[in-house]
Amino acid sequence: MSRATAFARLAAAYARHQVRGRFRRQHPQLANLLATYAPDHLQPVTAAERELLPAMSGCILCGACALAARRYGRVMLPDLAGGHLRSWDLLPSAAADLAGERPDLAAAAAACPTGVPLPEVAAMVARLSQRHEA
Amino acid sequence: MGGGVTGAGLLRELSRRGLTALLLEKGDYGGGTSGGSSWMIHGGPRYLEYDWDTTRLSCEDAGHIVRLARHLVHRVVFLIPVLPGDRNNLERMETAMEVYDRFQPLKHAHSHVRLTPAEALRAEPGLSPAISGAVTMEEWGVDPHRLTWLNVADAIARGSRAHNHARVESLIVDGGRVLGARYRSDDGALHEARARVVVNAAGPWVPELCALAGVDVRLRPAKGIHIVYDRRISNFAVAAEAVDGRQLLLIPHGPFSILGTTDDDYYGDLDRIEVAPDEPDYLLQAFERVFPSIRQHRPVRLTTGVRPTLFRWRTYEDDLSRRYEIFDHERRDGVAGFVTIAGGKLSMYRLMAEQAADVVCAKLGVQAEVPERELPLPGSEVDPVPAEELAARHGVTAYAAARLLRRHGCRSEAVLSGGPARLVCRCEPVTEAELVHAVRHEQVQSLPDAFRRVGLGSGPCAGATCLERAATVVGRELGWSAARAQEEAVAFRRGLWQGRAAVLDSAGWAQEELTVGARGYRA
Repeated sequence: MSRATAFARLAAAYARHQVRGRFRRQHPQLANLLATYAPDHLQPVTAAERELLPAMSGCILCGACALAARRYGRVMLPDLAGGHLRSWDLLPSAAADLAGERPDLAAAAAACPTGVPLPEVAAMVARLSQRHEA
Repeated sequence: MGGGVTGAGLLRELSRRGLTALLLEKGDYGGGTSGGSSWMIHGGPRYLEYDWDTTRLSCEDAGHIVRLARHLVHRVVFLIPVLPGDRNNLERMETAMEVYDRFQPLKHAHSHVRLTPAEALRAEPGLSPAISGAVTMEEWGVDPHRLTWLNVADAIARGSRAHNHARVESLIVDGGRVLGARYRSDDGALHEARARVVVNAAGPWVPELCALAGVDVRLRPAKGIHIVYDRRISNFAVAAEAVDGRQLLLIPHGPFSILGTTDDDYYGDLDRIEVAPDEPDYLLQAFERVFPSIRQHRPVRLTTGVRPTLFRWRTYEDDLSRRYEIFDHERRDGVAGFVTIAGGKLSMYRLMAEQAADVVCAKLGVQAEVPERELPLPGSEVDPVPAEELAARHGVTAYAAARLLRRHGCRSEAVLSGGPARLVCRCEPVTEAELVHAVRHEQVQSLPDAFRRVGLGSGPCAGATCLERAATVVGRELGWSAARAQEEAVAFRRGLWQGRAAVLDSAGWAQEELTVGARGYRA
């Protein structure tokens, strides 16, 4: 297909789109979008999480937090920010890891040399681990 | 010749037709253009402006790939925000998506939706508040290293052979016929392999190998770079317009986000691709317009690749076709027994391999039936056990099991059963059992091979916490001395640094300093 034919087809599609647009009302689509991709565990982050995410990425796996609080559920503490909080779409499959111990995350965060906000990391991991089926 | 995804796909295709083939790869499988790609099998809506056939073929083949490699693929949902002054306004952008929707069923993907600015900001709060709306688009993500390897593995299981770290030095040519190749293995030994047909599937290295047979195939290689971030920055991929109007993408892939890509004519050394300091800035400048916080996130490395685009004069790089061509050099140049496949893209690799196999079969006079197109790759044959169950059986976290399932699918159980389930690489996470499996069954001969096969050292710590341990495990399998294992770890860490130093900002350097201090490793 030539470039001219491709452009002509796109132009025709644009004309159809404009005509349809005159008779069509825009309905909210976000709920549909999130329902469509719920089986793929593609949830949005919240504005508060978005704000904190750069700080949550600061883990250097030094293990200092584990000296203050060893595990969160079955997860060794450095793995919470350095592991679990990386593959968000897999977290519902790994929800079982969070069952169990609830350590003093504030004390662990205070020991962190890069200032990773561990209570917020744990809250985000817990939220994203919930299943949202369509 | 050439162990990228096309060569690997061809090896599998020939094996499935009952032929015996040998694949020679000078580096590691998928270590060139395939690994340096955007890690997507996508139809390419931008080709709608000039090449609908490529869009249709890509979508059709992507549809086959997602079925045959289902444990490797994941949906990538794009938010395409539109800002005032963009090359395409919201109506034009939605028109493009309406047209693209016609192709989406070919690859088992959903149609687009249109979002108001408020809806788009709820889907991704990091977008600029200045957007005038957004449309969505769906593609598929894939790990090209695993995809390439699994094609090789399947072919080996069917009786073919494959060697990585085997560099072709010359072709055996006699009386206008290519009879085979001489190649050097990693230990320095020179070998000879003879075949009735030799196929050049070396991607950007195609002209180099053609020259060995005295034939000329011209490409117009184009360099693309990507910045890789330490984690998902968003569950949605985001598109942004660059200063020159090109469309750039930020793609979540497993535990990473990949931002790219550039597209520049490349004339340099294909084995040592240099990155200019302003190339990452070009990407970041485009993204901070739609995603203002992008510079605050943590880049961990830069990847580079060279596209083997077919040669065309007087065309802007971005408008070059992603079509491919199969050259039968007997017809074209009078050199018998020699075929070249050039051009194309990752999302059409299976189709390219199938058609190249047709040419090879015709040359051999073999009437092989085209096998089932969606026959699963190893790991995708049946549904795997759930992550939680796998974790409970082997004493790993469910997260580690879920990550393993993404790499090995239904064969994960066998991988974990082959050795200790102790974690070697915490970021990824990679167990000792998986590393042992990779050496014994996946032709891993070095730490960089393990990086490609199982993601060793690819996480935020860049191997700071795991490489010595990993070198010990790999070295034990390969018979390395303790000194050799240490040397391998240091050399690999240095290699990782070359990709990392170029993208670190001041916070990144501080994190690296702390890591070095905490670990005290020898850089």
